[in-house]
Amino acid sequence: MMDTQLLISGVIFGLSIGSIYFLMAIGLSLCFGLMRIISLDQLLYYSIGAYITYSLSLATGNVWLGVLGGVAVGGITAFAVERLVFRRIYERELTFSMITSFGILIGGIGVIKFFWGVVPRPVPVPTMSQIDIIGTDVPVYRLIVVGVAALVYIGIWLFLNRTIIGKAIRAGIEDVEHVEGLGINVSRLFTITFIIAGALSGLAGGLHAPLIMVDPAMGLEVLAFVFMVVIIGGLGSIKGTLISAFIVGQVVSIGSLIYAPLAMMAPFAIMLLILLIKPTGLYGSTLVKK
Amino acid sequence: MIKAFKWWWGIVLAFSLLGLSRAFLPLAFLNEVIIFSIYTIGCSFLLGRVGFISFGQPAYLAVGAYGTAFYLFYFGTNPYVGLLVGVLSGLIVSGIVGPLFVKLRSDYFALVNLALAVIIFYLMQKVLADITKGDNGLWFLTNIASTPVLDLGKPSHFFIFALLVAMAVWAFYKYLDDSIFGACCLATKINEDKLKFLGYSNYSVRLLAFIMANTTTALAGAMYAVYLGFVSPEMSSPHRAPDPVVVTILGGVGTLYGPLVGAFAYTGMKDAISKLIGNWELFIGFLLVFIMLAGEKGIWGTLQPHLEKLFFWKKRKPETDSSAKAPR
Amino acid sequence: MPPHSAANNDDLLTVSGLNVSYGESKVLFDIALSVRPNQIVACVGRNGAGKSTLLKSIAGFLKPTSGSVTSGQTNLVGRKSYDIAKMGIKYVPQDKKVFSDLTVQENLELGSYATQDYNWDRVTDYFPKLKVLMARKAGFLSGGERQMLMIGRALLGSPKVLLIDEPTEGLAPSIVTHLRNVFTELSKNTALVIVEQNLPLVCAISSKVYALKEGRIVAELADPDSIKVDACERYL
Repeated sequence: MMDTQLLISGVIFGLSIGSIYFLMAIGLSLCFGLMRIISLDQLLYYSIGAYITYSLSLATGNVWLGVLGGVAVGGITAFAVERLVFRRIYERELTFSMITSFGILIGGIGVIKFFWGVVPRPVPVPTMSQIDIIGTDVPVYRLIVVGVAALVYIGIWLFLNRTIIGKAIRAGIEDVEHVEGLGINVSRLFTITFIIAGALSGLAGGLHAPLIMVDPAMGLEVLAFVFMVVIIGGLGSIKGTLISAFIVGQVVSIGSLIYAPLAMMAPFAIMLLILLIKPTGLYGSTLVKK
Repeated sequence: MIKAFKWWWGIVLAFSLLGLSRAFLPLAFLNEVIIFSIYTIGCSFLLGRVGFISFGQPAYLAVGAYGTAFYLFYFGTNPYVGLLVGVLSGLIVSGIVGPLFVKLRSDYFALVNLALAVIIFYLMQKVLADITKGDNGLWFLTNIASTPVLDLGKPSHFFIFALLVAMAVWAFYKYLDDSIFGACCLATKINEDKLKFLGYSNYSVRLLAFIMANTTTALAGAMYAVYLGFVSPEMSSPHRAPDPVVVTILGGVGTLYGPLVGAFAYTGMKDAISKLIGNWELFIGFLLVFIMLAGEKGIWGTLQPHLEKLFFWKKRKPETDSSAKAPR
Repeated sequence: MPPHSAANNDDLLTVSGLNVSYGESKVLFDIALSVRPNQIVACVGRNGAGKSTLLKSIAGFLKPTSGSVTSGQTNLVGRKSYDIAKMGIKYVPQDKKVFSDLTVQENLELGSYATQDYNWDRVTDYFPKLKVLMARKAGFLSGGERQMLMIGRALLGSPKVLLIDEPTEGLAPSIVTHLRNVFTELSKNTALVIVEQNLPLVCAISSKVYALKEGRIVAELADPDSIKVDACERYL
């Protein structure tokens, strides 16, 4: 039987990984829900967030400043991409946005290689201190990551339920045309949503950077996991995303305690199982593109 | 006779050109191009004819490659039997996952395939490390027995074999395009309901297309294995997922010769550009975006109407317009 | 072929020579109509005659292949649909799809947002029932209540023209009567274009009727005496 210490640190590890996946999956989910696009380029903003964190923390000595920079640059890049590319393709079918955003992701990796080279870069952990939870030493930084994700969830919830823009986004997820019919500028709504998604992906990259090595292909490495989170939760549902990020994080982390190679495969098996039972994911709607 | 010639001449011409280019292009490059084009034609068929994009083609490539590799490493020496084993394993795996996958919406389909590629990657790298030798890969070049007539161990013989296989594959897909099944595939892409009303099942049409396309991909994997005499988990790594998608788009989605032209251009550019600017992704990524925004026709899709005009401007003038819209 | 009504500056809405296609297939042919202030204009015709297409094209959801839609001096063709709505030409779709995940209040807030008109009393004066339903999720409303909410939220911002698609379809007679009174009341401030199958209702309230058949206007009844159920039926 597993001992408690291992289990507790495993759970914390899983929570922090799940938090990172969650931050990225929110944006993907919102983009799908509102604009009906699959935005693989979110993985690029994640990598950019991590690299900006690396460079800024190297320059200023403060990782948090780096993370903030990552959020800002992630959002700005997303804004530019939305204006240059997505504007033209919202009307097209899903596969189209998928392939195009995939091109952006690949091209963006090339840009990263151009600026930072191919060598993986380390980012220092902002706080090395540990905290005692039921006799187990847990790194504070991982708890901070979980805390940030929790705050973001609350923030997004408040944004969607308490602000008029958020309400318009929720309404748009149900039917964009009706929102347009009320005189609301939906293309501005799209831009706002896309920037939020990009900034959150940047945040995920920035927070993840101290826990891994930052390298150009890091986006491709988490791509499968992030999409698994989105798929298990159901595209377009924030609540589903939260739950599935939690599940995937725990499966990856607890799984690796049981049998390391399984950790990477188990989530995929779970995903296949869930899709077998419910082809649209846990909370996914059957919404189709008009 | 003339009819048969008319039907075949495009394929024969394409592959004769490829065979002739042997005179001034390196063999390794051409072998790579042929296998790559077979690899891509399945992906292109799925996207262009059925409307499914798969980010997980490396999965089926690896299944075919490992099927062949296991046979040649552990059991036998005959490369032809090895190829057969590879293709069969592709058939079996796509037959198992197909019924589940083809029920999904196109976006889920793409990502589930990607997930399958990741599973197979870890399966080969870690879980089955005892038999796959993990990251070291399986080396079996010396196990491959020399065979009469076409000795697949020799690159020059392999080239002829690959050309013949590719011709057969192209003839098969051309036949599919002309058949009722091909029409059904297009119908399921454009309007599921209409196909249902005509009395065909979307599910079986898709399943059949899925199995055929991915068995073709497994064939490419098996050919890689025999050609290189080596397989490693790297083959199904998610990093390789872009390749077939990019080549499909580059060549021209759903066109018959698109995968061939795309594979040729892609392999060529990869060499040239890596040498020139050393930043391959930058170029290919933005090229992909550009092609998509410029009307997703790809190289062949753009060239074809012009070529047809050039060669048939007398004979088939009225047809050029319609063929420009639905290039094949 | 109806005569082309010349653009008239008194008109709130003028459509002329409008052609609309869905891909290859042409749906509307050379449509011309005009709407004056305080008029209730009805479009009648069978299913598939192109009535909804006409309203959607006016509201900017469909792009006409040719023709013009003008409001006063402003050309509407090519404008974004949210611009057109903001200018006061509002489309109320027929599907009775309110934002079901949002409360009635939130639905109204979205109606108010574009023009910042939060005078909901006007809405609740017409539809007092909405007042007690404010906190309810719109998904739990009945068909009639949904229709009230859809018309209600379109009323915010005092639109010049309301384009209402099949408002009474599938509703109980008592609600139809209520809507009929509301429409008459509304026409004191707003012009209405109504696509409707319910001919008695149409004939009771409208001051002009266009009959559509296979994408063309086959009749225009502008004279109060000629707007009769049997007269309309002839064109269906």
